[in-house]
Amino acid sequence: MDTERLLPEAPQPEPLPDWEEDLARVGLVRRAFMARRWYGPDWWFVVIGSVIVIFLTLVALFPQWFAPHDPSANVGPRNLAPGEKPDVEVLVSLEGSGVANLRDLASGDREPFGVVVGTPSSEIARAAADTIGEETGERIRLRIQRFDTLEEMLGAVADGSVRAGAGSNIAIEEVLDDYPGVTIQGSLEGAEVTADTSFILGTNQLGQDVLSRLIWGTRVAFLVGFAAAAFALAIGLPLGLVSGFTGGKLDRVLSLIMDSIYSFPGLVLAIAIAAVLGASIFNVVVAIAVVYIPTYFRIVRGQTLAIKEAVFVEAARSIGARSWEILWKYIFPNVIPSVAIIFSVNVADAILTGAGLSFLGLGLPPHIPDWGIDLARGQVAIQTSWWLVTFPGLAVMFVVLTLTMLGEGLIEIINPRLRDR
Amino acid sequence: MNSLLLLFVALGVPTLGVLVYALVTGSPGLRRHVLTRVALTIPMILILATVVFVVLRVLPGDPVTSSLGPRGNPEVREAMRDQLGLDLPIWAQYGRYLGSLFTFDLGNALTSGRRPVAVELGERFPATIELIVPAAIVAVVGGILAGTLAGSRRKSATDYGLRMFSVAIYAMPVFWLGLILQLIFAVQLGWFPVAGRIDPIVSGSLERVTNLLVVDSLITGNWAALGSALRHLVLPAATLGLILLGVFLRLTRVNVIETLQEDYVAAARARGIKEGVIVYRHALRNAMIPVITFIGLQVAILLAGAVLTETVFSWPGVGRYLVERIGLRDYTAVQGVVAVFAIFVSMISLLVDVVYSIVDPRVRY
Amino acid sequence: MSGEILYSVRDLVVEYDTRTGPLRAVDGVSLDIRRGEILGLVGESGCGKSTLGKAMMRLLPRNARIAKGELLFDGQDLMSLSEEQMRHVRGGKIGMVFQDPMTSLNPVQRIIDHITETIKTHKPDASDDEARERAEFLVERLGIRKDRLDDYPHQLSGGMRQRVMIALALALNCDLVIADEPTTSLDVIVEAKFLDLLRDLRDEFNLTILMITHNIGVVAEVADRVAVMYAGEMAEVGDVHPVFAEPAHPYTEGLLKSVPNIALDEEELYQMKGGPPNLLHPPAGCRFNPRCPYVMDICVSQDPPMFPVHGGGGVAACWLRDPERKRSESD
Ligand SMILES: Nc1ncnc2c1ncn2[C@@H]1O[C@H](COP(=O)(O)OP(=O)(O)OP(=O)(O)O)[C@@H](O)[C@H]1O
Ligand SMILES: [Mg+2]
Repeated sequence: MDTERLLPEAPQPEPLPDWEEDLARVGLVRRAFMARRWYGPDWWFVVIGSVIVIFLTLVALFPQWFAPHDPSANVGPRNLAPGEKPDVEVLVSLEGSGVANLRDLASGDREPFGVVVGTPSSEIARAAADTIGEETGERIRLRIQRFDTLEEMLGAVADGSVRAGAGSNIAIEEVLDDYPGVTIQGSLEGAEVTADTSFILGTNQLGQDVLSRLIWGTRVAFLVGFAAAAFALAIGLPLGLVSGFTGGKLDRVLSLIMDSIYSFPGLVLAIAIAAVLGASIFNVVVAIAVVYIPTYFRIVRGQTLAIKEAVFVEAARSIGARSWEILWKYIFPNVIPSVAIIFSVNVADAILTGAGLSFLGLGLPPHIPDWGIDLARGQVAIQTSWWLVTFPGLAVMFVVLTLTMLGEGLIEIINPRLRDR
Repeated sequence: MNSLLLLFVALGVPTLGVLVYALVTGSPGLRRHVLTRVALTIPMILILATVVFVVLRVLPGDPVTSSLGPRGNPEVREAMRDQLGLDLPIWAQYGRYLGSLFTFDLGNALTSGRRPVAVELGERFPATIELIVPAAIVAVVGGILAGTLAGSRRKSATDYGLRMFSVAIYAMPVFWLGLILQLIFAVQLGWFPVAGRIDPIVSGSLERVTNLLVVDSLITGNWAALGSALRHLVLPAATLGLILLGVFLRLTRVNVIETLQEDYVAAARARGIKEGVIVYRHALRNAMIPVITFIGLQVAILLAGAVLTETVFSWPGVGRYLVERIGLRDYTAVQGVVAVFAIFVSMISLLVDVVYSIVDPRVRY
Repeated sequence: MSGEILYSVRDLVVEYDTRTGPLRAVDGVSLDIRRGEILGLVGESGCGKSTLGKAMMRLLPRNARIAKGELLFDGQDLMSLSEEQMRHVRGGKIGMVFQDPMTSLNPVQRIIDHITETIKTHKPDASDDEARERAEFLVERLGIRKDRLDDYPHQLSGGMRQRVMIALALALNCDLVIADEPTTSLDVIVEAKFLDLLRDLRDEFNLTILMITHNIGVVAEVADRVAVMYAGEMAEVGDVHPVFAEPAHPYTEGLLKSVPNIALDEEELYQMKGGPPNLLHPPAGCRFNPRCPYVMDICVSQDPPMFPVHGGGGVAACWLRDPERKRSESD
């Protein structure tokens, strides 16, 4: 052995670089703005990310303000491609005639209803009348009167010889100007269809508006993401603190359990839990939260161990602070920054896991508008309707991307180890 | 010996080899480290098995009713309860369950004609292996190279581009990436089949040896089957591989950046060592060490991703089996899958950890 | 000692881009290093010593740049070299030893690999055996058994690692070794041994050494000449004995007085008032003026140039040494 040995290395306080002293002198708000110059793109990531997250939260809270249609109702024709004009069979009648709906024709005296020969109008009208009849319990019987051309039929509606008629939306709109007073009342099924009605992202197999479902889906995604992350935090943080602080057997047992769960495929565990618990939003939240508890536990425990050894805690102990006081006053505030970063990444992760669960048909009751469910339905129609699998996935990606961008930017700004030296 | 056990023996041999190598050639410190690590693996498997047991048995829900339906014949029900041991006290059930794990006898499935779960898993595990191995290779090799490139040119356009790519990939749900690849390359372009593992036409002509179709068609020289198997493999493996590639890219990048700030890198520059050598020999080798430990944890992501990828591509592996059986409330099967996953994950993480301690001289000597 | 100048720094300005603006860590420094000497470079922490050392090898971090100045090494203008040519100077002609031997060696590379890699980088046709031979010769000369060459860095003690760093600099017969606080993390006994070794090596290998340190004691022990830096500027340069006996710059005087043992035989240990200035906003005039006990009007308004002192043996940047002023006073 060599006789030379190193003296134990004394911790040498690094003198603060000048710019850090300058930084310490300005207030918090100015610091945030000055930060733009120092952090470059990362600063923009954080700012833009925050703005989008705030906006999305608003959408999640009040989807009805943003969605053009009811997400669960069939508001248009089925399988309409994005931007495609709905070519629907619509009801036409004279303005002020009191007929705005097939239901208004149910007065029993079998008033004439105009259709054009060679079009599916009469069939659709009968089917629609039957559906409405079933719903209301009042049978609607239409006395169909056939016309050779659309013009003849519209003329008859205009002069009042038939009270209402049906025909293709697009064809009628082209010639409608020639028949003053005749208006389009909506689809035969009762959905509102006007010249402006459009489905920007198309409709699905049930005639639901894809865009509206996307907007309402934000709600479930955010709810599941934030609730699961918060749930996991609420359990993982205290466990980590106590485990790291007290040490000993408890610490060893808890660490082993948490490490085991951590190393296991989270989705598989969540699948098992969600399957056993049954379909409900709360159960999904629980299933996902269980998966992420170890993440918080590990980070908090590690940091607690490190801070526990730090000098200032030693000092606090020697002046007689009680241990819970040390835990609360010195350790807890120090783990907050990293927990905050994990939380933002975690919400994104939980949203992904939630979408995965509902894609597999687990967890959420089927009537809730949700991106994962929409994707599963879209896959069935992947050969014909590309938009059904495209947009819900983009929505997931956008939300997760935003949250990650925020988290990444924060890490880059907060983690001094990665900073330029 | 059942086919699942056979499979684990096949996987276990390399692990054992590495363990023995470490124990024989290592220093006393390394030996102690490896032994502790082995000792920790068993409680880890036990804990996971217990969690599964608690989730499936203690939480509400009756497997017999859910599998036979409410109208089931009372005699059949009784027989089934008996066979599953559901009338035993909960701790006795637990003991029986653990016993069945260690003998690799996972009981009989409640559906599919009550076949042994071990046999069913043994049939499906090769498909999963065939999917995750190429995916892992794509991810590790691609991710590490791209991550090194990004990390060594920090804040350059390449770096920002690769970072955006990795974040975008990370933000994509696995199954959606699968759907999109399916939409573009299978439905629109028609380059690859939409789903499945092999063309049913050539499937019959392929003699099964290992049930890894690529391997089987190679050793039997069945080129038609090889082409078909490879064409079916491309999209699912790319889906799974790309997702993980993003993860490795991020991790490698961070580690390369940190290592490039180390003193020995500055010292190497001061000795005139070429920048390329510094990045790829000095920095990358050191950055690799935490990345290797990470590979162990990624097995979990790989398996979770496999469940979704297999569902999207109708890939007849363990993941799809799990999802199917969950739908059928086949508790024995679900329990079996989760247990096998637990053993698989623990084994890989043991293997990775030991390899790591051999690679890092600071642990080794 | 021959007067031939090996390395000449002329009017060097190095700026760091910081988040609050450009920071001049080295501001107009000129320094001549003579062949075969050991030159001590001292100054308080943060005054720009390491920056100067790194700039001399053009090894600055990416946020730094040489804004102005000339670097003349052995008659060659280093600023005009390409990065590739510069790479051959580093390690081939100029070696560097860093402060912390614990972290300056690659933990996953054996010692021998460090040395052979360096040799083969600069002499691509050297064989493995030749490189190994050279490595064995060097480490034995430095007092390390040659079988330790196959060890990994963490298996060596701090003093041994620092000697390995020297071996790396000697591997290709560098002319100049820039040692940046090489002994700071060594304990006192190891430090003394190491400094002895350096002196021996200088004679044996015909080395020139720039020894950066904030420890005046180290300079007194090994250096032939000393350069004192203050806040990015050169305060005083001269032979060790006259500078220590009769410092020409008040800052040097303060430094010497505040060191135990070699404090001038006056009062007790002395504490210089104030601290080094913020380099983002340095004081006008002489940068030392806020702390200087002899401050005059001119010091606040005008930056002093280098005046010859000690009968031309040294220079100092202080208005007190202005020959004009002396003449006008004696009038
Ligand atoms: N990478 C950097 N970016 C910004 N400023 C830097 C950087 N490196 C050094 N500085 C600043 O440049 C000045 C000089 O630093 P330098 O490291 O050269 O000092 P030093 O004299 O070697 O100090 P020490 O004795 O502590 O090593 C300091 O004010 C420091 O804050
Ligand atoms: Mg320094």
